[in-house]
Amino acid sequence: MFGIDLGKYRTIVISIALFLIFDLGVLVLNFFISSEIASDAVNVNLAGRQRMLTQRTAKLTLQLENRAQAGVPQDVELKELIAAFSLFDRTLAAFERGGETASGDGKPIRIAAVDDGVAQAVLADARKLWDPYKARISEVIESGRASPAVASALVTQAERANLPLLKLMNDLTTRVEELAASKATLLRAVQVTGISLATINFLIILFHFIRHLRASDRQLEQARKETDDILRTTQDGLFLLDTQAVIGVQHSAALERVLGTTALAGRSFYDIISPAVTPKTLDTTREYIDLLLRHDVKEKLVASLNPLECVEVQVAQGPGESDSRYLQFGFNRVFENGKVTHLLVTANDITRRVRLERELQASEERAKGQMGLLVEILQVEPAVMNQFLRSAQDGLQHINRQLRDQGSAREVGGETINAIYRIAHRIKGDASALGLSSLATSLHSLEDILNGLRERPALSGEDFLPVTVRVKGLFEEIEAMHLAVSRVAQIRGVVSVEAPRPQHDPGVEALPFVQRWKDFAVRLAGEHDRAVELNYHGIDAETLPDSLREALNSMVNQFIRNSIVHGIEDTDTRRRRGKPEAGRLSVYISARDDGGVDLSFRDDGQGISVSKVRDAAVAAGRLTADEAAAMDSRRIVGLIFEPGLSTRETVDEDGGRGAGLDAVKAMVMQLGGQIRIGSTPGEYCHFRLSLGALPSLAPIDKTEDKAAEEVPA
Amino acid sequence: MRRLMIVDDSNIIRSKIARALGEHGLEVVGLSPNGEDAVERCVSARPDVITMDITMPGMDGIECIRRIRSLNPDVRILVVSALADKATAIQALKEGAQGFVCKPFTEESLTEAIGELFSEE
Repeated sequence: MFGIDLGKYRTIVISIALFLIFDLGVLVLNFFISSEIASDAVNVNLAGRQRMLTQRTAKLTLQLENRAQAGVPQDVELKELIAAFSLFDRTLAAFERGGETASGDGKPIRIAAVDDGVAQAVLADARKLWDPYKARISEVIESGRASPAVASALVTQAERANLPLLKLMNDLTTRVEELAASKATLLRAVQVTGISLATINFLIILFHFIRHLRASDRQLEQARKETDDILRTTQDGLFLLDTQAVIGVQHSAALERVLGTTALAGRSFYDIISPAVTPKTLDTTREYIDLLLRHDVKEKLVASLNPLECVEVQVAQGPGESDSRYLQFGFNRVFENGKVTHLLVTANDITRRVRLERELQASEERAKGQMGLLVEILQVEPAVMNQFLRSAQDGLQHINRQLRDQGSAREVGGETINAIYRIAHRIKGDASALGLSSLATSLHSLEDILNGLRERPALSGEDFLPVTVRVKGLFEEIEAMHLAVSRVAQIRGVVSVEAPRPQHDPGVEALPFVQRWKDFAVRLAGEHDRAVELNYHGIDAETLPDSLREALNSMVNQFIRNSIVHGIEDTDTRRRRGKPEAGRLSVYISARDDGGVDLSFRDDGQGISVSKVRDAAVAAGRLTADEAAAMDSRRIVGLIFEPGLSTRETVDEDGGRGAGLDAVKAMVMQLGGQIRIGSTPGEYCHFRLSLGALPSLAPIDKTEDKAAEEVPA
Repeated sequence: MRRLMIVDDSNIIRSKIARALGEHGLEVVGLSPNGEDAVERCVSARPDVITMDITMPGMDGIECIRRIRSLNPDVRILVVSALADKATAIQALKEGAQGFVCKPFTEESLTEAIGELFSEE
């Protein structure tokens, strides 16, 4: 229409156009008909006047006749007759053919000819009666006066015409009134029709309007529902910020969960985040949002500066408990007419991601650590390693028991700390002696914590929480080492990292020198209420040069004696400690390529007690108490090879005089070689001797430190 | 050819930027070791683009950007700095820098940032 695409407004435009057409049509018809009705009203009026004029004319003719017969002047009557006559005549002519006449107030008025057949017939009849009547009157008027005879003739004429004329004019009036009434009816019909059409049109408009309204309402409702669904279902916290950083009225349902707070609409974003971030970050956030709201800075550039990429928040989990969570906020500009009007903000809980990343990082570090650990473990004998790990675990369990006992106490004595400290320190010493540096570092940090606690004036069980955490970590480390050890064992099994031990040859056990050691061990044990079992692996010592063989025999006997008197516990104690009732003594002699031999002697007794050796050294007057206290444990252990030193309280033939191990030392010095001691209190004691053909090795005295390296502190 | 001015207190960095961007088709019209010198020089040197260090002795980069902006509102400024924190970068952008590159930078990151500086959004 009009070359314009009216689209969805087409119907409504047509409806309005029809409405206007109807209205205009009705208006025009109304105007036309009502003007006709107005002229009909004039006609009715004039027709009525004609009726009146017939009577006046008749009355004047009678008065004129009276005047004529009385012979008195008839000027007034004549004059009135002329007026009535001419008015009637003119009006009649106007009704017949249209023309001018005078209105009720004497003013000239033009009327149209009456175009109705019935009225014209009436007029034609009236004309027939009027013309002779008119001719008589005209005669009188022309003569200026009426003689009695003329007047009588006029009256006769009037009497003949008067009543029919009156009736005709009456008919005319009635007819003209009928015409007017029919036009009024027409007018009403037109009006009713027009209004009805307008009403129908209006209803159509209304119907269309409502239909469109409902359709768009439905669309709006649909859109709103979809938005609601999105906001309700999305796992992201979604909201809009205005230029004042105020949160908009709509936001995703997840937002409240993510932020851990409700009634967010209309609140300042800064108020919401301020408890979770530092004042500096809050300031940076303000600056950042200001920058985002400026459209002249590139969004990509700004995105990398987001200060809220990872915000740590504390969320209350219950009374007095809280949990760390990590939130990420992302900002996108919302443009309207090229200006930033809002920021669309997404808030996500990235706790799982952050934790996963940290775990990954930690496990990477652990993997790196494990490599180092493997290297460390490879350098320690598997048996020693296993013993160390068992002992460390026992120690940690002991610490745990202490912690558990103190956990709920209101006040914790310094003795508990010292006890824990001692155990930790021992394990640390073991670890560093074995070269397990990472574990030693962990234990060192436990010592630091304990030292920190020592400095506090009063302690409660809760203060031990960091200790508990650290101990738990140590357990895990030990566990990891167990795993690593078993892996190493597998590798060793495949590639034989260590020189293979000679296969156990049952024949070796039956050798006379071995049998002698066994007999000696069993006899001596019996004398001391102990049970022992001696195993031998290695070469046939009978094949060795005499001097070496005798020295070895003597040393082994001394070690047996030393073990049974100082090392192996009574059966009750051994049972309690979960050891086999019979103490195990293992002797191993191997020949080296350089002509020397290695002797290993090991028992699973109570190990060397550093404090006892220390006390013994002081008691023997070898050291003052201060010297002993200042001396490190390695040197203390080295003292067991000194003459006249024994940890045994009573002296008997087998031990207590302190003469024994010093003899071993003397022999080793004579043969040239070195001694190494490994021991864990409560677990084992292990002597390793390298003898003969070791010209490059330093003499024994200088190797004492080294020798004591594996002795735990 | 776009005219480049380099503001950095390190001689090594200045020559590194000059070499990288010189090869990239920019004409080096000024080298400034500090903010005061840069403000003074930027009038006569009429650069189209400035690389700006933030931490410098005397006037810092932020103040320098502010002054240069008031003297020459059309010049494009690229912050090249070991941005210790995001707040500094935000501040620099608010003062009128259009981009930033973190030290240590690669030649590519620098040329890319210069390209971004003149690209329409």
